[in-house]
Amino acid sequence: MSTETAPATTESVETEHDHHPSHLQHHFVSSEQQFDSAKLGMWLFLITEILLFSALFVAYAVYRNWNPVAFAEASSTLDWVLGSVNTIVLLTSSLTVALSIHFIQKNDRKKTVISLLATLALAGGFLVIKYFEYMAKFEHGIYPGEAFAPTGSGYEYLAAIPYVPQFFSIYFVMTGIHGVHVVIGMGLISWMAWRAHRGDFSDEWYTPVELTGLYWHIVDIIWIFLFPLLYLV
Amino acid sequence: MAHATDDHAAHGHHIIPIPTLLKVFGALVALTAITVGLSPFDLGMFEIPVALGLASAKATLVVMIFMALKYDNPVNMLTFSVGVLFVAIFLVFTLLDTAFRGDMDNVDRLTIEERERLNEQLQESDVDAEDLQVAPSDMQ
Amino acid sequence: MEAAAHAASQTDAEPRTYLNHETSLWEWLTTKDHKKIGIMYLISLAVVFLVAGLLAMAVRLELMSPDFSIMSASQYNQTFTMHGIMMVFLFIVPSIPAILGNFVLPLQIGAKDVAFPRLNLASWYVYMAGGVLTVTALLVGELSTGWTFYTPYSSQQGTAVIFMTGAIFVSGFASIFTGLNFIVTIHKMRAPGMTWNRLPLFVWGLYATSIVQVLATPVVGITMLLLILEQTLQIGIFDPALGGDPILFQHFFWFYSHPAVYIMILPAFGILSELIATFSRQRIFGYRAIALSSVAIAMLGFLVWGHHMFVSGQSAISSIVFSLITYLIGIPSGIKIFNWIATMYKGSVWLQTPMLYALSFLFLFTIGGLTGIMVGVLGVDVHLHDTYFVVGHFHYVMMGGSVIALLGGMHYWWPKITGRMYNETLGKIAAGLVFVGFNVTFFTQLVLGSQGMPRRYYEYVDRFAELHMISTIGSFILASGLFLVLGYALHSLFYGKKAPQNPWAAATLEWTNVAAIPDPHNFTSTPLVTRGPYDFHKADEVFGGSGDGQARGDGAGSDASRLTPPEAAPSAPKEDASA
Repeated sequence: MSTETAPATTESVETEHDHHPSHLQHHFVSSEQQFDSAKLGMWLFLITEILLFSALFVAYAVYRNWNPVAFAEASSTLDWVLGSVNTIVLLTSSLTVALSIHFIQKNDRKKTVISLLATLALAGGFLVIKYFEYMAKFEHGIYPGEAFAPTGSGYEYLAAIPYVPQFFSIYFVMTGIHGVHVVIGMGLISWMAWRAHRGDFSDEWYTPVELTGLYWHIVDIIWIFLFPLLYLV
Repeated sequence: MAHATDDHAAHGHHIIPIPTLLKVFGALVALTAITVGLSPFDLGMFEIPVALGLASAKATLVVMIFMALKYDNPVNMLTFSVGVLFVAIFLVFTLLDTAFRGDMDNVDRLTIEERERLNEQLQESDVDAEDLQVAPSDMQ
Repeated sequence: MEAAAHAASQTDAEPRTYLNHETSLWEWLTTKDHKKIGIMYLISLAVVFLVAGLLAMAVRLELMSPDFSIMSASQYNQTFTMHGIMMVFLFIVPSIPAILGNFVLPLQIGAKDVAFPRLNLASWYVYMAGGVLTVTALLVGELSTGWTFYTPYSSQQGTAVIFMTGAIFVSGFASIFTGLNFIVTIHKMRAPGMTWNRLPLFVWGLYATSIVQVLATPVVGITMLLLILEQTLQIGIFDPALGGDPILFQHFFWFYSHPAVYIMILPAFGILSELIATFSRQRIFGYRAIALSSVAIAMLGFLVWGHHMFVSGQSAISSIVFSLITYLIGIPSGIKIFNWIATMYKGSVWLQTPMLYALSFLFLFTIGGLTGIMVGVLGVDVHLHDTYFVVGHFHYVMMGGSVIALLGGMHYWWPKITGRMYNETLGKIAAGLVFVGFNVTFFTQLVLGSQGMPRRYYEYVDRFAELHMISTIGSFILASGLFLVLGYALHSLFYGKKAPQNPWAAATLEWTNVAAIPDPHNFTSTPLVTRGPYDFHKADEVFGGSGDGQARGDGAGSDASRLTPPEAAPSAPKEDASA
């Protein structure tokens, strides 16, 4: 994010910098150029995120295509209720982060902070639910990779089906990497909430909030695809 | 921000009204409900396309409205589309291998030596076998 | 920034340049100046190139004759592995964009800096972190997977693989940062009048490269991550013993690593266009065709990765499709070659060192490209796969293409980077040594491969002995040429003649509108672009129409401090024998 060094440019020796707004970095001509650049940069970063996950989706598609029965059996042990709740939680957090941008565009800092904190709370809720889901699996010996040793009723029969471990490996890797992105997103949102509270942003300049919002929506979109593929079909 | 005066007008940022955001959210929840509601039914070969179609519809809503791509600079739309296109390329070309893996199995299971030996046997057993020589290995 | 006042005081003595501005080590390490970051990359990459090059020499020495041995088989495996990994991931992939792209791109489009200067600096630190992990991998154990890390061998190796794949994961981010930065810079930071049709072709090359970097690099990142998880947790995605599919790893790997070939070669194409146009004193022939063929190669480059896997056991249908699309790559590549030749036709070709490298490139890359078509043929590849023919082919493309273009570009922009001229005579001698040495080394390998010499072998049968000996001798000639370059480059830093603003009489902004050594902010005033990058006939400021007499176009050989009457286009400037 292209933000922190804003004041540095005031010392520039060149006269053309005289009446620049303080958030404008010296090498940009206008705020608009800076904003457009930041946004294009963010979109490029987002497609790298999409391609990062795409490899996991490809792995999923390949193994599902080869072992449909194992995937169906393994998938049926995932808790679709918790998955659905988590989907709604993330969708709501997408709404609140969109609202935070709406409010900062209207220069309503208080509501911006509230929306961001709501997003943060929902993200936290998502992780808590995910934690309980993981724990429920670990209790029954469902681990990624070599440690996979299902025990207990409703799980033992999985041991007899080949390629079930593949499903859980992919499940844990996909949701794990997604979870890491949620944690990073929470960090960014906290930072934005704090800065919005401090009064860094206004309807003149709120690029970091907008970029954080974009990032958060991508995290949501990835879950939108993960949820039906892992829990339902 | 004290001396920012004329930049804002130039931005022309689209402010998405709250009712729009709420409508989109409602649609997203409804689509999620449909996805979950359909899951107990066995849709056979349509299961994956339906699930992915619904997910894509949700993703499109998020990208277009929440991420404001609809109101944004076209170059961002182009960027995003290229990204999605290359995910599709990655998926399709990899599946082109894995879905058809082993499609060379219909070739002759005999080794060349075995086929030559078979050929020799045929030639010994049948004087007209020379007429059957078609492949280069047969000519030896 | 803090030193602005301090810099202002320097202007009394000599003009402020980026080199005498903010000179302390701390200021270098925290600089956001794209030019300084380019130089930091130059130094780091030169070290990597030296180490990886010495490893290559060790490999060639080992293979000199069947009886002669300087290392054990296991050490040999580690040596060629590290040579490949360092050259591909840590040298050639970042080389042209990170060194010359960083330095030249903002200058060529009339920008004060790249769009995200801090991200640019971050990319160097991330790259260095990757370097540290590489050294760690070397220290903790044996790494003998080859640069391709094929599973299941790689997923059953020791911790060295984890560190090395970690290094590639990390340095991938450096590549993404650079690519992302360049795309945004080219889209948003162009000077007034710098339309897409007036972009220098080096910028077009970098643009195409950046697209590939942004789209492909994340996939190698996740692949390396999965390989690490395969090793640590045995997740069973790639290892057949655990139910995984090793060919899937190859798909993931080549989805990045084939486009990575274009990350290496596309910026080289860009440099070539600059060199050929400037040293032929001629508008580039088919500007739009060259620009768009770069983008076409970038896109097509994603559709051919399976041609590395013809004998892996992938489905026949995908082999056929991949083979077919591979031929298509020949079309845009051919368009470029023919356009460059057409540019030279009836031009005033000026055989300075950079142009010699450009001509070498045309020859070597054509061989590299044509052998590439050969190994893209399904049946032929079955014979040639994993032989020295493939080794020869990709060295012709990567070294004969990318590295030769980098050398040409380094010579071309050396005066702008350092403010000094190098010794032209030694430059020409070195270019000759590199060209001869390269061909002796690698053409021999094409022959070796077609006769059946497999790659990565420690020992070989006697009938290959002579050709291996020739190849090793060639590599010594090549190395001597490269060391000569290093020698006179270092010499010129301290004793070279001061370079004029535009020693080559080039018509792009970094020569016409920037001081001999650029200002920290590049341009004293934002340039207004009114013509194309190779419109020599309109470039009055280069050939003296405006009467400022700064540029002379007789370049390296003459006394740089003396102003000579400007030459009129398109006559070739005479060479000065005093060099």
